Amino acid sequence: MDIDFKGEHLLPGQIGQFFLVLSFGASLISFLSYYFATTDKVSTTAASWQKIGRVGYYLNFVALLGIGVCLFYIIRNHYFEYHYVWAYTSRSLPARYIISAFWNGQEGGFILWLFWQGVLGIFLINKAGSWERPVMTVVALSQVVLATMVLGVEIFHVRLGSSPFLLLRNDMEGPIFSNPNYLSFIKDGQGMVPSLQNYWMIIHPPTLFLGFAAMVVPFAYATAGLWQKRLTEWVQPAISYALFACMILGTGVVMGSFWAYESLNFGGFWAWDPVENASIFAWITMVAALHVLIVFKNTGHSYFTATFLVMISFVLTWYSSFLNRSGILGDTSVHSFTDLGMFWQLVIGILIFLAITVWLLVSRWKQMPITKKDEETYSREFWMFVGAIFLGLSCFHLIVVTSIPVWNAIFHTNIAPPADAARMRHYNVIQSSFVFVITILTAFTQFLKYKKTDVTRFFITTAAYLVFAAFITALIVYATGLYKLNFVFVLVMWGSVYSVIANGKILADALKGQFKLAGSAVGHIGFGLLMVGALISAGTSSVISVNNTGEAFSAEFAKEQNPRENILVYRNQPLKMGDYMVTYLGDSLSAPDHFYKVNYKEMDAAGKVKDDFTLYPKAQVNKGALAASPDTKHYLFHDLYTHITMTNSISMTEDAGTEADEHKTEDDSKAYDAPIAHEVAVGDTIPYREGYIVVKKLNKGVKVKNIPLNPTDISVGAELEIVAHGKTYTAEPVYMIKGKGVFDFAKKVEDAGLKLRFSKILPDKNKVEITVYQQPESQKKYIVMKAIKFPYINFFWAGTIIMVVGFLLSIFRRNKELKTV
Amino acid sequence: MKKSSILGIVVIAIAIAVIISTYSSTSTYGSFNEAKETRSELHVVGKLNKQKELFYEPTKDANYFSFYMKDNKGSDCKVVYTGTKPEDFERSEQIVLTGKMVGNEFHASSILMKCPSKYTQDKLETKEYKATQASI
Repeated sequence: MDIDFKGEHLLPGQIGQFFLVLSFGASLISFLSYYFATTDKVSTTAASWQKIGRVGYYLNFVALLGIGVCLFYIIRNHYFEYHYVWAYTSRSLPARYIISAFWNGQEGGFILWLFWQGVLGIFLINKAGSWERPVMTVVALSQVVLATMVLGVEIFHVRLGSSPFLLLRNDMEGPIFSNPNYLSFIKDGQGMVPSLQNYWMIIHPPTLFLGFAAMVVPFAYATAGLWQKRLTEWVQPAISYALFACMILGTGVVMGSFWAYESLNFGGFWAWDPVENASIFAWITMVAALHVLIVFKNTGHSYFTATFLVMISFVLTWYSSFLNRSGILGDTSVHSFTDLGMFWQLVIGILIFLAITVWLLVSRWKQMPITKKDEETYSREFWMFVGAIFLGLSCFHLIVVTSIPVWNAIFHTNIAPPADAARMRHYNVIQSSFVFVITILTAFTQFLKYKKTDVTRFFITTAAYLVFAAFITALIVYATGLYKLNFVFVLVMWGSVYSVIANGKILADALKGQFKLAGSAVGHIGFGLLMVGALISAGTSSVISVNNTGEAFSAEFAKEQNPRENILVYRNQPLKMGDYMVTYLGDSLSAPDHFYKVNYKEMDAAGKVKDDFTLYPKAQVNKGALAASPDTKHYLFHDLYTHITMTNSISMTEDAGTEADEHKTEDDSKAYDAPIAHEVAVGDTIPYREGYIVVKKLNKGVKVKNIPLNPTDISVGAELEIVAHGKTYTAEPVYMIKGKGVFDFAKKVEDAGLKLRFSKILPDKNKVEITVYQQPESQKKYIVMKAIKFPYINFFWAGTIIMVVGFLLSIFRRNKELKTV
Repeated sequence: MKKSSILGIVVIAIAIAVIISTYSSTSTYGSFNEAKETRSELHVVGKLNKQKELFYEPTKDANYFSFYMKDNKGSDCKVVYTGTKPEDFERSEQIVLTGKMVGNEFHASSILMKCPSKYTQDKLETKEYKATQASI
């Protein structure tokens, strides 16, 4: 049965697999040792357990680096005997995407997560001090659970995890694998999906996974605090880590949204796709947790809520990982999910951390510092708490809807989640209602004092700012046309503007004196701006390429489904589209990408060109299908998109057809409409469908290539000028009498879709005959494209950056507090 | 009454409202026959009928695409979609349509296809390299 396969490179895979097992073993040792270090009553033995725990953790990290090196090595060297390399890369993959091939598969994603958690763990070993033992027990446990996901080892006939070092011949069945020489038939891998060949694929996953990995730290502190009965002490250090997790995860998510926006894969920067929703569950609950943690720190209220939110955030991180990786979302998302057969393993992953959460919350319930006193109505803390509750509700809604396939699986129901337009409407309206409440809270809560406030003054300031915000909102809503949409969006705009203005005032005060308040003010301004940008951009984006010229296949159909969002543009034939004149100028190839030159000219009322630019949307032929990515013209206040949805100028086979055209046989008359012969004299004009042809002059004695001419031979060239769609071309077909034979040499003008023959000389009439072959309408090169205008998106990006700055300022502030305490 | 209890009641009320509104905006999976009986939008799951005509002629109308689909109950229906033909459509294994019946045509507002997954139906592509013939 054993076949001696030729040409395989098994060593790097074996080393990699060894490191995988080592990382699992080392993290398990680290977890157990830290556990004993925490529970052992004798301080000397506990200290030595701690030492083993540390060694185990460092060893685990070294093993992770080893995995990384091995994986990189096999990808770099195109060892297609490995499934991972074969499935995600190819020889033609540009070098810069080798690094992103690393985390293209789910195994790579897990390894990235493991790596970041490893880094954070090492940071904690050095910084956590008295918290190290219990906190690292939890972190190491998380590392153990994650490591099982990539283990790829069979235990009791159950395959644990999926290893990136799996061989192709072990993963797939096929007669080819009984051939010892099979590798010589596998010349190339499947290659990376074109939409992933984007520089965001290099930076977005590492950021996102750092965010996910960072969620473990606040969880570990909360667990440690409850476990070790240091019930209130854990809050202070956890705040900084929670801020960090929110900042990084938020950045990662928005990077993904930027990528989606640029590549239009999801039809905009946010499409409420299950994948997108799942990525912000944990972010929302952690942001809520952060606020309640601060409430608890300042007043001693809301201990349970704070702890619960911190812990559930981590459980939700696992839940979103389950949604994305178990294949359960199947029919509901545009994302391609692959099921690695780890459904139950992922479920167990969630259950472990859910069980810890529930058990600790229940068993420590009696000891928790829960206050019986009611909170002050006019205190900042009370309203922060309310805001956190609304964040929780918003997340609750997202979870309920995104998890519909899960409910179907559990209860055997048959509910279809709202799709497309209905989905957008559903999420937008409901989430906007929450956001309205939250933005209003982020504003007026800032006017309240911690603990107690002067009530009259508070009402006057709040009202004044609300009215001012309403005035500005009215202007924005009128200018952008937002009022045409659901009223709730106007409310959100009001709330967001109010939040920006009110927090701006707080920031101004903070700059004068109490600088420590700046972080929250900046963060909230960022969030407000982000919402303003999101609202205008998503609410008022418009398709410019609206097309009503298509043949009405049924009148009823045209009436009902009006948004015909794609237009067909023939090559070199300008077309009016909204305010623009678009022309498809031609193509350029830079393998594997095929670029389309699309020129835009914007005219003002007087017909003068106001703006003139060319976009290069591209397409790639990938396994017989067209994969297009758009090109964008960025203005300060809006972006203009051009996206190719269909074309006939690219052949669907792997090799682009342009070169083949050159060698076509001479008999190509089938490629043209029936020829029309024209008798013309010099100076005459021949009209044709797309323009006209002028006979400039006749040149005698024209040479054709290397055909020698005898003195008796006659050779005449007709110099023709072709004008089509405002462009001029020249061509010179030749008529020749050589010996007893009559020849004519036709000329083609590809761009004008013409073939011209100088077919006769009529000396008695002093005329010549030019035969015109026109390309049939269907043979003309065309593209079908879609153009979309997204306004004011820059507010969204700017808001995000400002929000991140706010998080950073808060981290600095909390760290300072940590040191002074 | 304590403020926290008022807040609790508000939270529960909103949670119930969320669930109801979610439920009301979901639809159900059904067949073409069921679609004929209802006026509301429906999801229909099925397979592309490869025997019948697949029509997309961008030079005539870039936004009209029609094909025939067999739903899971086995009934066949013409489907019309305003838009371009999705990439890789012929290779789809399963199609999920959202839309409703208009006369005898099913007008889809969205098409979601499932293509052969890399993990279930991998076929190795072995390529033969041939020297291209020189031509003058």
